Amino acid sequence: MIVFDQVAFWYKEKSETSFELKEVSFSLQKGLINGIIGGNGSGKSTVARLIAGLLPVLSGALTVNGESPYQQLHHSGFLAGLIFQNPENQIVGTTVEEDLAFGLENLGLSHDEMHCRIIETAARFGLTSLLRQPVTSLSGGQKQLLCIASVMVMEPAWVIFDEPTSHLDPWSRLEFWKIIDEFVHHHDLGVVIVSQLAEDLTRFEKILGFKEGRLLFNGSGEEFRSTGDDIHAHFNYPESWKYERLQLTADQQKIT
Amino acid sequence: MNNGITEIKLQNLTVKYGDATLLENLCGGFKRGQVNLIVGRAGSGKSTLLRTLAGFHKEFSGTVMAEERSFNPSGNISLVFQNPEALFFNGTVGEEVGYALKMRGLPVEEIEQTSVKWLQQWGLTPERCWNRHPLELSGGEKRRLALAACTVFLPPVVLLDEPLAGLDMRGQRSLAAMLAAMAADHIVIVVTHEPELLLAHSSSLLYLHSGSGQWFTPDAFLREALNNNSFFPLPDWYARALSPYRDTAVLPQIDAISVHRFVSECR
Amino acid sequence: MQISYKPGSGLLYSLNPLVKGAMTFAAIIFFSVNSLGLWAMAALIVAFLIICRLSRVALLDVILSIRRIALLLLIVGVIQGFGTTGFSLLMAAEAMLRILGVFLVAGVYVTISSQSELTFFWEACFRPLSLFGFPAREFALIMVIAVRFFPVILGEIERIRMAQTARGAKLEGGGLLASAASLMPLMIPTLTQAVIRAGELAQAMEARGYRVSAQRTRYQRFRFGLSDFLAMLVPIMLFYYLLHPFFMAQ
Repeated sequence: MIVFDQVAFWYKEKSETSFELKEVSFSLQKGLINGIIGGNGSGKSTVARLIAGLLPVLSGALTVNGESPYQQLHHSGFLAGLIFQNPENQIVGTTVEEDLAFGLENLGLSHDEMHCRIIETAARFGLTSLLRQPVTSLSGGQKQLLCIASVMVMEPAWVIFDEPTSHLDPWSRLEFWKIIDEFVHHHDLGVVIVSQLAEDLTRFEKILGFKEGRLLFNGSGEEFRSTGDDIHAHFNYPESWKYERLQLTADQQKIT
Repeated sequence: MNNGITEIKLQNLTVKYGDATLLENLCGGFKRGQVNLIVGRAGSGKSTLLRTLAGFHKEFSGTVMAEERSFNPSGNISLVFQNPEALFFNGTVGEEVGYALKMRGLPVEEIEQTSVKWLQQWGLTPERCWNRHPLELSGGEKRRLALAACTVFLPPVVLLDEPLAGLDMRGQRSLAAMLAAMAADHIVIVVTHEPELLLAHSSSLLYLHSGSGQWFTPDAFLREALNNNSFFPLPDWYARALSPYRDTAVLPQIDAISVHRFVSECR
Repeated sequence: MQISYKPGSGLLYSLNPLVKGAMTFAAIIFFSVNSLGLWAMAALIVAFLIICRLSRVALLDVILSIRRIALLLLIVGVIQGFGTTGFSLLMAAEAMLRILGVFLVAGVYVTISSQSELTFFWEACFRPLSLFGFPAREFALIMVIAVRFFPVILGEIERIRMAQTARGAKLEGGGLLASAASLMPLMIPTLTQAVIRAGELAQAMEARGYRVSAQRTRYQRFRFGLSDFLAMLVPIMLFYYLLHPFFMAQ
């Protein structure tokens, strides 16, 4: 469980224009597809980085499974993995195997432990035959898979995806959602997805909506859908919901 | 506006990259007056085809013809990539737009006049952004500035790689309309993962798949996509909007924009 | 085609990274300063290529890349060819062969060494400096990542070049000053992209638990076998050859 209790964060040069996360409280549970939405400068990426422990909490309290992610990350622990949108910029190794090992080396594991985990994870993600391949020879989809595998091999309790779908082709998007569904509903893994894309919204089971550092909406996907225009106006509203509404009104007109 | 070319034709175009053959015996053409779409999975050779047309990728056989003559890409083509940051290198928006004209040796006053006009045409207010740094603009504005800077010299052919990606629906819609308007004066070729937004302005779509290219009319493309999701996964809402018409002889021209207009009028 | 790591299992591949590095280092110095003359050097290069072939090293990319340095070769050839007695083809060929030898050795080294092997070697080289508080391992990792990003950045430059030339940017020709100015259209977007990439990579590494102060373990284990002992004879012999005139003089 992720718990934000009155968490605030600001960057060093605090001025009137600079971004600030203003005393945000919420909690996220495993077993649901958790989505964080909002435009540029809304604070959604800051929240993701706080959960991953990349940024310290400046006031209030943030716990992931009861522990502080920032403290953990700085003492060879690992609570939540963060996956960025461009695979090209987050692969560290020159071969698949090396990239999988990078995070484990940081955790200070023994060689045998690393070897076990790498073999297991590679098999799970269908990368076994590619282990010795240089990463430059992988296709875009395989690189994306490697990025996910490289974080999963570290056995995090939570995984955060930062705008994962915006650079994928429509086919890969379907495959991505298949993987997420598997993670959330068949493995004991907490998933948070940060996204700007309206169509991703329809997949979220729990939604946090941010605007200018404030939490505007906190509720289930269904609740978000039925909430009023005063909330919807701040976010990208999915076309499919618009269309369904349209059909509904058309049907009602037919009846009357 | 006169920039000569109204159609480019591909004749038995075979494109190679090292040992791999990316496209084989591609025939067909791109016309003015409509948006030419290219659709395909990542790695299907879309970008290499663009490079080939632009004359930067030389490993190909076959010919590209323009008006019964061999097409010379130099000076006749413009390329716009998905991330505009990779295009800007001038200090101000004004210089950025005027650069292509300056390189063509036009007098200063004319450059300024054309640039101002061009910014307006792409929906940017020159008074507000003329002296700003290109990277200070918002995401959608950057995209439009990139398009303005790349088309200000009236290239007969404009190649766009994923112009709609990463924008919100509103931004996508206004950009789609601008691209459609642009097609009157240029041959516009668009590589995209969101063909539904441009289908209404298009009469031909090139579908690239494992080394071969197939040409579709928007109608045939939609029908194929409706029947087979792995051919092209249409967005959920769009497939649903179309599905009542699946069995009619001619699919209605349901483009995303008119669906949207319909929706917003009903609200 | 770029020169980059291509996995394999031949003899050269299986050597300890320290040995690989030492051999490369010795061979580069050897080709730069030896005085064997044209034919002996040509024979050595041929022998080197045969050994690579036997180890099933993917030589094609390395050899194709020679054309990238063709101009350099030509210029050096012309300059070195003019001696006191006019132009000597032999001198020119010898100078060109030196550069070719260095290039081939370096190219093969990059082809047969993975990132962790490179880091291991560089770290070993810098380790003495860590006595003075120099962060050897971090420095090695930075160098290696820079090398890894090289092809990515090159690809980016290629893309930007295409888009800029289409807008009419003149990227070639003109005098020295003019050509430096004409690089601007490429430099700024390339740097912008490189900074964005570097920032993202740093965050991704940190998110995967990387800290400068951390006690990291190592996944790859490199053994020092019999073949490594034998292979060490190569750099020793090369250095002996280079240094023995000095010993003789004493």
